[in-house]
Amino acid sequence: MKYIPVIGLEIHAEMLTESKVFCSCTAVFGGEENTRVCPRCAGLPGTLPLVNKNAVTLAAKAGFALGCNVNNYSAFDRKNYFYPDLPKAYQITQAQYPICTDGLINANGKDIRINRIHIEEDAGKLVHIGEENISLADYNRCGVPLIEIVTEPDMRSAEDARAFVEEIALRLKYAGVCDCRMEQGSLRVDVNISLMPEDSDVFGTRAEIKNLNSYRSIIRAIEYEIKRQAELLDGGERVIQETRRFDDSTGTTKSLRSKEEAHDYRYFPEADIPPVVLTDEEIAQIRSTMPEMPYERMNRYTQEYGLVTDDARLIISDKALSDFYDRTVMIYPSYREIANMTLSEVIRNLKELSAQSEDIPFSPERLAMAVKMGEDGKVSRNAVKDIIKFMFEENLPPEEIAKKHGLIMSNNKDELEEIIKKVLSDNPNAIADYKNGNGKIFGFLMGQVVRTADKSANPKLVRELLTEILEN
Amino acid sequence: MKISQLRSMLDKREISAWELTQSYIEKIRNKNHILNCYITVCEEKALEDSRKAQMLIDSNSALPLTGIPLSVKDNICTLGIKTTCASKMLADFVPPYNATVVERLENTGAVILGKTNMDEFAMGSTNETSYFGSVKNPYNTDYTSGGSSGGAAAGVSADLCAGAIGSDTGGSVRQPSAFCGVTGLKPTYGTLSRWGLIAFASSLDQIGTIAKSAEDCGLILSAIAGYDENDATTAQLTDTAYTSKIGMSVKGLKIGIPTEFFKTGISDEVCTAVMSAAKYYEDMGAELVTVSMPSLEFAVSAYYLISSAEASSNLARYDGIRFGYRSEKGGTYDELVKNTRSEAFGDEVKRRILLGNYALSSGYYEDYYKKALKIRSRIKSEYSAIFEKCDVILTPTAPTVAYRLGEAQSSLSELYSADICTVSASIAGLPAISTTCGYDKNGLPVGMSLTGKAFDEATIIAVCDAFERDFKRQEAVL
Repeated sequence: MKYIPVIGLEIHAEMLTESKVFCSCTAVFGGEENTRVCPRCAGLPGTLPLVNKNAVTLAAKAGFALGCNVNNYSAFDRKNYFYPDLPKAYQITQAQYPICTDGLINANGKDIRINRIHIEEDAGKLVHIGEENISLADYNRCGVPLIEIVTEPDMRSAEDARAFVEEIALRLKYAGVCDCRMEQGSLRVDVNISLMPEDSDVFGTRAEIKNLNSYRSIIRAIEYEIKRQAELLDGGERVIQETRRFDDSTGTTKSLRSKEEAHDYRYFPEADIPPVVLTDEEIAQIRSTMPEMPYERMNRYTQEYGLVTDDARLIISDKALSDFYDRTVMIYPSYREIANMTLSEVIRNLKELSAQSEDIPFSPERLAMAVKMGEDGKVSRNAVKDIIKFMFEENLPPEEIAKKHGLIMSNNKDELEEIIKKVLSDNPNAIADYKNGNGKIFGFLMGQVVRTADKSANPKLVRELLTEILEN
Repeated sequence: MKISQLRSMLDKREISAWELTQSYIEKIRNKNHILNCYITVCEEKALEDSRKAQMLIDSNSALPLTGIPLSVKDNICTLGIKTTCASKMLADFVPPYNATVVERLENTGAVILGKTNMDEFAMGSTNETSYFGSVKNPYNTDYTSGGSSGGAAAGVSADLCAGAIGSDTGGSVRQPSAFCGVTGLKPTYGTLSRWGLIAFASSLDQIGTIAKSAEDCGLILSAIAGYDENDATTAQLTDTAYTSKIGMSVKGLKIGIPTEFFKTGISDEVCTAVMSAAKYYEDMGAELVTVSMPSLEFAVSAYYLISSAEASSNLARYDGIRFGYRSEKGGTYDELVKNTRSEAFGDEVKRRILLGNYALSSGYYEDYYKKALKIRSRIKSEYSAIFEKCDVILTPTAPTVAYRLGEAQSSLSELYSADICTVSASIAGLPAISTTCGYDKNGLPVGMSLTGKAFDEATIIAVCDAFERDFKRQEAVL
């Protein structure tokens, strides 16, 4: 039988606050084990949590970025369970009154509803030392502020899910909420998936796959799960509601715990933290600080800058690159040429160096200057590409690079005339051929002149001089 | 002696702070082995603090509590001093920080004599659940001190400290104060910082003061009250002069007498003593107003559900991993946690954790925890209605006088029910003060409570003080 997959996601994103959500320890990734811990985040007796206001602001910004309502009233609850990486044995989260609700995002051509975004604290990490049969706890990550984004089950394929995660990751980056580094765990995805027969509109029993930390594993896990559930259903068996874990090495999912074994989290209100009340003015104030979102930037690039949609999308999909592009065109507004050079030369050189756009070693000013030199006719367009390549290697301004590598175009008429005369004397039949109407010979001669003059010949001037000499 | 008297002696140099502290240490040496008020006595630190206090006195910069020897309940964190919660779980726990109230006491030059005994994790009303043994009543050592701040109340009663810091979740300051014949004040929720108070039930816990008079309770409160950036639930208070209304006339004051507080379970002797106090106020010109709190009959159930639910979560952190007791048995994490908690928590604590987890479990949450919250909001609105008709409410503090040691634990449901007079003010977060209003035929003290409007401690302190001035207090035997 054919089935339609029904997919909803729960996405955890670490927020980019300086300090943790309920204490003043640094929230930055890493650090030597248990050095970023205080009595508060270690849950020592007698300590109390204090809400980091910046975490509230960033969560509200996430709401705006994802088209949600930001609520005037939200409140914290406790989610109770024992685990050695959870010092208080409860996680402070927002269960009943989340800060943001009812969002909507278009991804992969589909409208995907967001049920809620709420604030919560991250747990620590366990390090298992297999041979010695020892587990060690590192509490550095305890209390790092998270938002959890919960979607409605509106996705119908692995590709939908991937596109959705990509879209929200991009928006969260643009909003300055999360750096979305899945490899560092700052964005983690849980997938809820069920199958329903093609002719039905009743959802099947779902399985939840926890903690996917790459786009590849999201796709593979969903595709495997679709296959697994379809085989079960085709074989007349039932899918059981359970939590599953994806094994990257085998590409399969395994049962972690069944519904019966699921934790009863015994949620109840967190009395140590008063409710978060945001006035309409405060919400408006946060909204006014929202940076440009990728879809807004898309409009600017295509409508104001005249970039083609694909180019604009390519640049915007890399926020650091797009920011670099913005700064470059601010200095020299040659929108399309800078986009071309960025997408071809800058990206190519970054790839060769296996570097990220954050690591571009030269300033936007220098890129602007290099492109401008090309457009001013000081260097050829090909030379601009060379200059960009050299700028990845040498910390010099483009003018100096051009001079150093002999890329400044010659505008010296006498010199060029000498070269033209020499080329013509080397090709004695050329003038006659040209006069007999052989159009191809002009291009051949142009090429010979430019080659003899190396790259420094200004093609426009060569064309003029050559025409003049041939005509006379 | 009262704090105001000690203040005067210190300021007139009739006694030095060191001598005063030394005299309390002597008394502790003589009586603590009988009464068991203190778990830890900090002799050296107290004497050292008294020297510092004397320097303040000598430079005429003494504050009301400078040089005054006080005790702190052992669930309130003291930097570098064991803070056990009277539990095997924390028997060796030395906090790396001071509670805000301790910090403020130290800043004002008060001398902390030691840490007082209590029911384990403040769960109990007889002080018999302490891992360190029960506290005896200074009026008769065959009787309990009440609890959970039993060591604090008995300590004040036997003059093993001039005043005490306790904690009150459902009556833990007021009830032992009543049983030990002293005055105990639970302020409005949010008046005193809970930073450093080891949590039992976060929405109910409030630090309180115990002393020999309402005025002394107010003096201590004034020194430590107010907003604390470390506790988001503290209130921004503009006026912390809690003794400012003392001396005011009660003429025309409307005192509410809620009928439900004088019904079943309240002993005749308690009823008589409290009603004679009411009569006293009436004679002084106050107006007695009969009021009603229909939901009182559900208050004890609501209190035990809410406080146990919160306790089940607050006490979940004691897993033997980071601090406190750790079982030597247990190969896996689950086993370690289970054995640690089985070995180090006493029966009462375990009972409350079980009750709390049950009340929060899916399938029972609606029937228990959620219903308890509904009762809570009903009690709050019933208080609001009552306070439209009167200024303060007068009730017994406990249905009876102190229990004989060992007797109360035999019927837990009766013991829990006996909290009926104190839990409603806790549930509503309102201030209440208990003082002695009589003695039973065996000479055991009877307590009455005055409950006030939120953040109006000054009024109940003044009204309480008015009674205390004319009341003939009988000193404890010990």
